[in-house]
Amino acid sequence: MTPAHFAFSSTFTLGLMGLTFHRTHLLSALLCLEGMMLSLFIAFALWTLQLNSSSFSIAPMILLAFSACEASAGLGLLVATARTHGSDRMQNLNLLQC
Amino acid sequence: MSYTMALLLMGMVGGLLGVASNPSPYFGALGLVLVSGMGCGVLAGYHGGFLSLVLFLIYLGGMLVVFAYSAALAAEPYPEGWLSWAVAMTASTYLMGLGVCWWGFFGHTDLRLGEGQVMGGWGDSSQLRGETGGVGHMYSSGGGGLVTCAGGLLLTLFVVLELTRGLARGTIRSV
Repeated sequence: MTPAHFAFSSTFTLGLMGLTFHRTHLLSALLCLEGMMLSLFIAFALWTLQLNSSSFSIAPMILLAFSACEASAGLGLLVATARTHGSDRMQNLNLLQC
Repeated sequence: MSYTMALLLMGMVGGLLGVASNPSPYFGALGLVLVSGMGCGVLAGYHGGFLSLVLFLIYLGGMLVVFAYSAALAAEPYPEGWLSWAVAMTASTYLMGLGVCWWGFFGHTDLRLGEGQVMGGWGDSSQLRGETGGVGHMYSSGGGGLVTCAGGLLLTLFVVLELTRGLARGTIRSV
């Protein structure tokens, strides 16, 4: 494993753990999700640069487009949460809690 | 050059460590700005100038700006930075886990911080000028993918419209 490979793998895993062990705010979980997509972009871009496959550089561009879609859907959910529950704190999302 | 690359890679991992420890979203967005800046430097160091600039413009200038002003939805009177107790404990736990992984992968090898083979720059016409020519394929033979992306983006527009529509339809029921 090269250091660059270790860097984006550990960046992805850190973002995943930050998303899993979220604390108070929904927005910080969405930020960890964005960090995961960023590490995937860097992974795809390093793939195309290190393996000299220039046609594969389409993949990071398309990944970025769909990551923007996902971020906007997540922010729409955040706005809906803030309008319904008053804030984006996770302890307010307790309708299914027994 | 390899020391610069090591610094940029460590800055990338350290920045996302600051985001993953879940501080207040103001500081999380700041950490994500740092990560994307360092990531741009990494890509530029591997001679990927076009993808580095795409990351800066689209990701940092488009998406993170939206996250930065959405942080106003998470306003609280005493935002927790990285010096608060819970965030610092989370960050140090992740840092210890990262150190264990680093030792497991690189602890027994003689690590040489070289770059290996990188893609040629301006002179190699056989590779269509590096990754910039590859992106040009998206408009010619990859046109179906481009149209699919555009259709997906249009669909997302309507998804967000329906998500934030009030009046007891969709996700906002009480207003």
